[in-house]
Amino acid sequence: MHEPRDSGELLMAAADDDQRAWDMLESRYGPRMWATARACGLSEADAADAVQGAWLRLLEHLHTIRDPSGIGAWLATTTRREAMLILRKGRPGVPLPEVVPGDPDPAAAVLEADNSRRLWNAVSGLHEPCRTLLRLVASDCGNRQVAGRLGVPLGSVGPTRSRCLERLRTLIHQQETVQ
Amino acid sequence: MINEEYFLAALRLAAGHDPLPEHVSAAARDAYGLRVPQAVTAVPAECPASREVRSSDGCKMVRFVAAGLTFDLEVTVGDGLIDVAGQIVPHPGEGSHVDVRTPHLTLTRRLARTGHFAATGLPPGWLSVVCHRPGQPPVQTRWVRIRP
Repeated sequence: MHEPRDSGELLMAAADDDQRAWDMLESRYGPRMWATARACGLSEADAADAVQGAWLRLLEHLHTIRDPSGIGAWLATTTRREAMLILRKGRPGVPLPEVVPGDPDPAAAVLEADNSRRLWNAVSGLHEPCRTLLRLVASDCGNRQVAGRLGVPLGSVGPTRSRCLERLRTLIHQQETVQ
Repeated sequence: MINEEYFLAALRLAAGHDPLPEHVSAAARDAYGLRVPQAVTAVPAECPASREVRSSDGCKMVRFVAAGLTFDLEVTVGDGLIDVAGQIVPHPGEGSHVDVRTPHLTLTRRLARTGHFAATGLPPGWLSVVCHRPGQPPVQTRWVRIRP
């Protein structure tokens, strides 16, 4: 039997009572939904709620998603929206950006590039000190450790990291443009 | 800056740090069992009494509307559990019942003549109420997150 691979096909199969298709969607998009929620600054417990909320929203819209092939971006954006709502409840009065499911979300687009090989290829393509710095940051090294490993002043790590992330963003954008 | 945080999250994801916890993945897969075929979704509406404001006693009012029905839910969070007192107006008809649902527990309740129902001792988290009507499609409120 042909196994559906395309995300849109998986979504339609899930809408048609196929638990396995739903599980495959979860395998494919669950990790990036988690990363999206955590990137918003949520604790593990709140991030779990945001991810669960996004899957429940998908249940509500299972038959009405306008662009099934864009389900990955839809889930990422919906996770971010649920995360923002949780943040807003925790910090009343703090204005948060409006996120509408289905709208293009540049931040979600970054997570669309979370294929490990692609991302690490992009990091490998950076010059030093960015290459080493981002590898250290990805390994959860703190600023002090990064400064020690790179032999740079502690105060320079933050600004250098920002510049390196900007270069990584540019490089990924260039690679996507070429493809 | 949030875009930086997204990049860092993607890098950590690629590096295998902060992976998706297994219980979150399992909960997402189990969520599939919560779908209600043919259900009409009741969407949030302004609640004139309190506009989804939580009062000092931990009570929260939420309203959902669809298919000519209004769901008013008064949700109380205390001792780590959720109590729901609700009313559906107009009464959806003889033989109707509601399922008060969380991802881990569903409590079924008959409706009083006034459309009232109640359920207690639910775990905090996501909550939804489904009204089953004989001969008509069920009406399900959107999922709402209830935490202390």
